[in-house]
Amino acid sequence: MKKKWLALLMCGAMAASMGVSVYADEEADAAEAEATAVTTVGPEDGTHFELWTFVDLHNEFYAKMVEEWNELNPDKQLNVTFSTYPYGDMHNKLMMSLQAGSGAPDICDIEIGQFPNYTGVDCPLYDLTDALAPYEDTMVQSRLDVYSKEDGTRVGVPTHVGATVMYWNAEIFEEYGLDYKSVKTWDDYTALGEQLKEASNGEVYLTSVDTGGVDWMWIAMAEYGEDWTGGPGGTPNVQLESVEKMMTMQQQWLNDGIAMISTDGHTDTDGCRVPISEGKIASFPKAMWYMSRFTGYEAMKTLEGKFDITTVPVFEEGQKCSVGIGGTGTVVTNECENPELAAEWLAWAKCSPEGEAHIWADLGFDVCNTALWSDEEFAYDESNIYNTFFRVKPYEVLNELAEADAIGTVYTTSASPTINDYMCTTTLNYVFEDGMDVAEALQDAQDYIDMELS
Amino acid sequence: MNKAKKLLYSQKVAPYVFVLPFVLSLLIFWLYPLISGIVMSFQEVSFGGKTFVGMTNYQKLAGDKFFSTAVKNSVEYMILTLILMIPIPMVLAVLMESRLTKARGVWKVIMYVPALTSVVISGLMFRLMFSEGDNGQMNVLLHMFGQPSFAWLKTKSTAWCALLLLCLWRWTGVNMLYFISGLKAIDTSLYESASIDGANSKQQFWYITLPLLKPTTIYVLTISVFAGLSMFLESFMLWNGNSSPKNIGLTIVGYLYKRGIEKNDMGYACAVGVVLMIIALIINFIQLFATGTMSFKKKED
Amino acid sequence: MAANTPKQKTMESNHKVGTFLSTGLFVIVCGFIAFPLVAGFLGSFRPGSEVVTKGLSLDFKSPLSLNNYKYLFAMFNPNNKDQTALVDSRKYFMWYKNSLVLTITTVILTLLVCYFIAYGLTMYKFKLGGFLFFMVIATMSVPFEILMLPLYQEITVLGIINSNAGVILPGLCAAGTIFFFRQYMTTLPKELLDAARVDGCTEYGISVKIMMPITKPAFASQAIMCAMGSWNNMLWPMMVFRDTSKFTLQIGLNTLLTPYGNNYDLLIAGSMFGILPILVIYLIFNRYLVDGMTSGAVKG
Repeated sequence: MKKKWLALLMCGAMAASMGVSVYADEEADAAEAEATAVTTVGPEDGTHFELWTFVDLHNEFYAKMVEEWNELNPDKQLNVTFSTYPYGDMHNKLMMSLQAGSGAPDICDIEIGQFPNYTGVDCPLYDLTDALAPYEDTMVQSRLDVYSKEDGTRVGVPTHVGATVMYWNAEIFEEYGLDYKSVKTWDDYTALGEQLKEASNGEVYLTSVDTGGVDWMWIAMAEYGEDWTGGPGGTPNVQLESVEKMMTMQQQWLNDGIAMISTDGHTDTDGCRVPISEGKIASFPKAMWYMSRFTGYEAMKTLEGKFDITTVPVFEEGQKCSVGIGGTGTVVTNECENPELAAEWLAWAKCSPEGEAHIWADLGFDVCNTALWSDEEFAYDESNIYNTFFRVKPYEVLNELAEADAIGTVYTTSASPTINDYMCTTTLNYVFEDGMDVAEALQDAQDYIDMELS
Repeated sequence: MNKAKKLLYSQKVAPYVFVLPFVLSLLIFWLYPLISGIVMSFQEVSFGGKTFVGMTNYQKLAGDKFFSTAVKNSVEYMILTLILMIPIPMVLAVLMESRLTKARGVWKVIMYVPALTSVVISGLMFRLMFSEGDNGQMNVLLHMFGQPSFAWLKTKSTAWCALLLLCLWRWTGVNMLYFISGLKAIDTSLYESASIDGANSKQQFWYITLPLLKPTTIYVLTISVFAGLSMFLESFMLWNGNSSPKNIGLTIVGYLYKRGIEKNDMGYACAVGVVLMIIALIINFIQLFATGTMSFKKKED
Repeated sequence: MAANTPKQKTMESNHKVGTFLSTGLFVIVCGFIAFPLVAGFLGSFRPGSEVVTKGLSLDFKSPLSLNNYKYLFAMFNPNNKDQTALVDSRKYFMWYKNSLVLTITTVILTLLVCYFIAYGLTMYKFKLGGFLFFMVIATMSVPFEILMLPLYQEITVLGIINSNAGVILPGLCAAGTIFFFRQYMTTLPKELLDAARVDGCTEYGISVKIMMPITKPAFASQAIMCAMGSWNNMLWPMMVFRDTSKFTLQIGLNTLLTPYGNNYDLLIAGSMFGILPILVIYLIFNRYLVDGMTSGAVKG
């Protein structure tokens, strides 16, 4: 009796689950038609490519570029299937499939931090030097260099410059009657911090110091023209004047109560967007692409009209004051059967004026094609959200940097993951959380890096 | 034909038929990849192929302080989870099955639900609770006592409390279910006769429940040992990635992942995996022999 | 005080105190366990950004809205005009369906295969038996990550990449499940087998007709475990699947976390709704576990 009842229950449960899935199935049929339309673009008889990325927005951009390309090139029709994977998993999967020698996509986005993993011996990426040649003159060179092999072969197409700039919550400074615009050096900046601390009773911090990110160190290195990776083929060395100065200065800020430690490690985290949007952090340096965070996150949207952007302070006048940080290099893999066409499309999509217009308007990036920076229509269009969100048009700052030739380079090499990892997990925490002596912490880091890379 | 059928149905051949899928799966999906993995630990793997480097990976491993931190963390974590995750669920299971507790069904369901939640969402919730920001639950509690906010996940002791709480939160219900399932298999007449003989409930627990729960306990112990040693996801969830301040959350599998996936050093990662495997095997077998699970054959002989 | 009362009464009041204490304990434990769940559930009725900036909260006063769920279920709403919501909603239920199919198949196949393996290992004395059981334990001791790359290559060669088979087959003989069945069966009387043999039942007949009904509770608990593992599994399916249209729910939800503004609205509501099927499975089998146990063993 009981058994029958149980069997019935089992069957019932099974039928119910099947019912749900059949229903979902029917709905999914409709969805599938829709989904394929979303994920595959171009006529079926076109040359087929598969493209992976870890940001859905990038795929939307690429999809537009495929459509535009097909309109312009009736003889070279493309049919591209797009897949978006979670960040870590996409790189994981790409690495696995390239090592296994099958299953990799034709075209793929690779985050800059992961890039050195692919450029070493037996690089599985297609040479893009020829495809990029038409754009070579007007592109920011350092951005092309970071996606190149040691011998200078171009293997990745950059998306943006990622020039670091200073973001200021101008409203706060106005409220306390402080002038942030005249800040030129870090000494000025520190003095401003003292004033802000006094005026706000220590409630508002001038800035926040990162324990889980190395942006500040990159800025310092760019200012002194140093590079802890030693550049392509160089020897890594973190015991640099620039790094030591920056860390010592930041440590002092913390001791003086001018700065706070970034919630959750750095300013680009959900945790840290809270004090920024609440006006507890008055300024911070970050790459241009951070603009998209202001428009992408609800909490940050309230800051419209409050923020200003300027160049970053320097240690000594005359130094460079910016550096390209972060980014995505798009590659053609050696598994692509039609690499020439893929490379041609890719270079066009990401470097041509047509493509750059979308990169700026849809993604909010500082584009790499400098020819467009001073183009009135391109750069200062009022319909672009970023031109109205901030108190300055972002490209004005960028042109200022370009005129002064102030964008420096710090390389991302095979030593970078090791250095970054040790800095973010250990050194920065020792120095800022525990107040360890800077020289001692850097010696410790150097020891580890030497051991690791030997 | 008939003979073959007879043979197939004989008591001698039947066990081999039963275990055939296991043997196949063992060879195809375990032994082959495992051997490849072990071989890779003596190699350097790059896109072009693999080159033998002898013991280099292991030599480097011996002097790697991240690795020793990872091993220490994993072993510590395993021991702490064993201390927490066996007695607590066991006692809860006994209480749950006793007549003392009311509304058992409700508690059982609630306690099991955490294990059903996805990693993404439970990680997000624990991160929010232990956030160093002013809105984290723990900091809100501190504010009630007039204390300033505290960076819970940056100090080892507090971060480990969070980590162990997360483990308890997710798995207490599951382990309790195992013990309940084990308790159900115990013949209730044993308790009746014991109680007629005048044994109190404490004695009943020590002399009936505990010994008869042994198969279940061994099962939970075995899976806990390995789950503890191979912990990665909990740490990954809590720190929103594989990097924790001063590596307080770095585990062996986390390090394997960091090396193999994040730094593309598959050979070295395999060496890490081989060491983990050896540690796990040793601990598991010590425990299995100590508890008598493996010696059943001799007993029967 | 207790010393002065008659023994019978002491026991009764002890019982009451015990009930109070033990039930109270569960109330407290469950309170702690429920907090993140309830807060998360409430959070799914709030804008996602609010949850992230203001943290979890049990504040019932702050307004709740169905907007997240309206967004999630947009594809079932004929009046929906929001195209983005429609696309997101369709994707979500596509992943949902994939996860359901994958989980149900995995659970049924894994339980059956593991049951028979464990049966073979436990109920017979044969040459390889001890060694094979040793191997079961051994497979548990090897981290999956070390097998992943070679396994990936193998799956590609076998041609089951990007298919459910590629996800299911390598994990079909789950050591944990085999081990559990074995542990469970060792507590059962072997005399039943001999009795059945005398009755003319074949070896395979016994395993299905005699043993399977008795092991129902083990099936129930392993069904829950297996379903849970499969529903929430992410690492391996991620490696195997290549099309967005084949993704499981967990992979899909993870793609909502992007640097350009995480889609927390959909993520939190989607995750909460994503617990549902596995909760239903649990409720079904949990009941079965409690009810089926006592009758099964006695009646045989």
